[in-house]
Amino acid sequence: MELQLDLYGPLFLHTLSYWWVIFPSIFLGLLVGAIPGFSAANTIIILLPLTLVMDVEVGLIFMVALYCSSRMGAGIPAILVNIPGTAGAAATPLDGYPMTKAGRGQQALAMSFVASSLGGLLTTVLALLTMPWLAQVGYYMHSVEMIVVMLFGISLIASIAARDTLKGLIAGFFGLMIGSIGADHVYATPRGTMGFLELYDGVPLIPALVGLFAVSEAFLVIEAQSILSRHSRDLLKTAGWSATLEGARIALARWWHITWNSIIGLVIGVIPGAGASIASFVAYQQSRTYSKIPEAYGTGHPEGLIAPEAANNGVTAGTLIPLLILGIPGGATAAVMLVVMQYHGVIMGPHLFSDRPDLGYGVFMAMAVTYLIMSFTILPLSRYMSKVTLVSTAYMAPIIIAFTLVGSFVPREYMFDMALGLVFGVIGYIARKTGYHVAAILIGVILGPLLEQYFLRALKMSEGDISVLFSSNLGNVLWVALFVTVLTPFALDYKRRRQRAAHG
Amino acid sequence: MAIPGTPTRRAFLKGSAAAVGAVGLASHPLAFALAQAFPSRNVNVVVPTREGGGADRNLRAFTGVWKKYLKTNFEPGFYPGASGRVGYEVYMGKREADCYNLIFGNMGPELLNWVVQKPTFDINDYVYFGRVDTDPGCVFVGAKSPFQSIDDIVAAGKKRKLNVGTSRLAHPASIGILALGEHTGAQFNLIPLSGGKNTVAGAVTGEMDFSVLTSGAVAARGDAVRTLLVFNDKNLLGERLDNAPTMNDHFGTDLPPMLSSRAFAIHTAAIEKHPDRFKILQDTFKQVFTDPEYKPVVLKAKGNWEYINYGGIEECKAYAKDIFEIGERFKPYLTGKS
Repeated sequence: MELQLDLYGPLFLHTLSYWWVIFPSIFLGLLVGAIPGFSAANTIIILLPLTLVMDVEVGLIFMVALYCSSRMGAGIPAILVNIPGTAGAAATPLDGYPMTKAGRGQQALAMSFVASSLGGLLTTVLALLTMPWLAQVGYYMHSVEMIVVMLFGISLIASIAARDTLKGLIAGFFGLMIGSIGADHVYATPRGTMGFLELYDGVPLIPALVGLFAVSEAFLVIEAQSILSRHSRDLLKTAGWSATLEGARIALARWWHITWNSIIGLVIGVIPGAGASIASFVAYQQSRTYSKIPEAYGTGHPEGLIAPEAANNGVTAGTLIPLLILGIPGGATAAVMLVVMQYHGVIMGPHLFSDRPDLGYGVFMAMAVTYLIMSFTILPLSRYMSKVTLVSTAYMAPIIIAFTLVGSFVPREYMFDMALGLVFGVIGYIARKTGYHVAAILIGVILGPLLEQYFLRALKMSEGDISVLFSSNLGNVLWVALFVTVLTPFALDYKRRRQRAAHG
Repeated sequence: MAIPGTPTRRAFLKGSAAAVGAVGLASHPLAFALAQAFPSRNVNVVVPTREGGGADRNLRAFTGVWKKYLKTNFEPGFYPGASGRVGYEVYMGKREADCYNLIFGNMGPELLNWVVQKPTFDINDYVYFGRVDTDPGCVFVGAKSPFQSIDDIVAAGKKRKLNVGTSRLAHPASIGILALGEHTGAQFNLIPLSGGKNTVAGAVTGEMDFSVLTSGAVAARGDAVRTLLVFNDKNLLGERLDNAPTMNDHFGTDLPPMLSSRAFAIHTAAIEKHPDRFKILQDTFKQVFTDPEYKPVVLKAKGNWEYINYGGIEECKAYAKDIFEIGERFKPYLTGKS
């Protein structure tokens, strides 16, 4: 496939003329992204009859704009009320919510918007320039390599455990155990399902996510009058446009951080089957590992918020590359887009860029225009959105619980999942009250099943030979990188202690 | 010998026979007069797969025409999960047996499910009565694969065990490749990749030596893949499946077609209680296939018209018999006990 760079200018202007589709799609995407359980994929499915009657180009732009903005929308409740809208935003509240509690919600939102827009825009441009080569990533990232990528994310448990080793590890293993519930990936033998058919496919992510984070948070905040302390409330009430600008400035000053974390997202997004949840945890883990102040992570550190938001928006462009070039959808939303395109008679695959370059390149142009428009239109909203946290907990807690229970129900439409959300809420509440980190549990729940899936696949392919884990060159390079990553914090910590001792 | 409690071919056929008897009763003129009131409300359809997938498109296309003859609307409810088990459990456990509740499933993989793991209900308690399509399994490779023909694969499989991607072990296409291995002596290691999307990815990215899947899904991938063998009596899609040979033609075997087959099923009790209603369902169902509106609808939904294939209770029964028999034959492999 050869890039047709001369098409980019006219195509960009052509896509810009579809602003009337992009604007409403952005706001719809923000809305569905912010409601737990809803996502771009299930919204496109709900609106399938509408998408199918649209002109193919309009339909495509609508879906792409919805996809990009929903990713950003998922971060809003994660930051403001500790409810990640999707699994891809699960790492966002780790530092986003502490910022809100400190009265810096407006700033945090501005940072998230800038990181998301810039990360998304940057990776879209990168995708436009490098897609023939990026598409090759899928040819090299197989099960063995993915096991190592998963371990990058899971090693975050160790970082969390650094503060309280025993409790951190217990929480992590508890999460991994919950993640192993369901039918096994090879022979579909049910394990730990307690007779519930609804658990055969494993513990559904959204109820676990909203239960551990949001429902437990609602139980906690009801004990106080407000999410915010008096000081934080005063800070937020008096915050003007300067707080938004300050948030944007903090994010822009970390442009390099946004760049490399969004590239992590792009590369992980390109791998079929990987997704935003993996990318955001890996980015957070990488950001923390190479930070000069890793101990600040989890307390409202800007880089802890910027990293996952840049990464999960980088994934967006990545998941569309295998769809457009190889005909393999990189994620759930891309899979639904494939259905719509097939309905319109568009065959995704190697010939798309020669047969219909307007659509092939047009997807990324739509993405670039969406991110550009979002960067100007969404930023001012941070001032008004952040005021949500001023609402009294007497109203806030029931609203959180109601929204999250509906969110639990939406993806599969099982009443069972609402009960499961509550069960996870109780687990999360107990964990918080007793000093166990719910993020460590969640990492196990999200990444554990994926790790197991790749691990069993690799073992099945090698017929049980464990040395398969070290059978590929790329895999071995990744293993070395993993060990370096895991050992670096200890080395840096040792160095810092020696320096402090030397300075007396 | 069947393991006690395991659904058996005999049990399933008994249920189907009850349905055939009920049809006989329903042909009485009085029964027809009483049936005029049916349907007086919408018909609910449980779909044991996700909304927006192949079954959804297939159902929308079919019921879009069927409603014209049945003079009522259809309300689908999607219950994916556990390889379709959730949908069946919901249908059998929570839906009334009154002919207003149907299930639209994929007979092949779902019947194999019951062979591998028994459901909580008795499989005699529901009957497939209306087949919509038959989509044969096929062997395919990624565009960059060194394998150019099925003979290349068999030759390589005799030298080393080849990794074969499949959406799940209990799938007609998986059975097809096991049968090929049994016939040729080539060695295949089936790797379940959890769904069609991953199965295609496994072949295209080269992680698998090749993959097996229903051919309709493979044909939709265009040039990204190359089809090398079809598990059917004839390659109905011809060039869209790279003019790949069929297994029986190429290897002289006598394998029944390894088909995924979407079909409507109904509670056996509903047939017994309301044979008149059931007859209306059957008659109107059949009318859809001769309606000139149906073909354009299928083509618009990017379906393969060649695979649209009417089947009544008898055809479904014959299909179930074949699937149960061959499923039992390969059960040790499908359950990891080989």
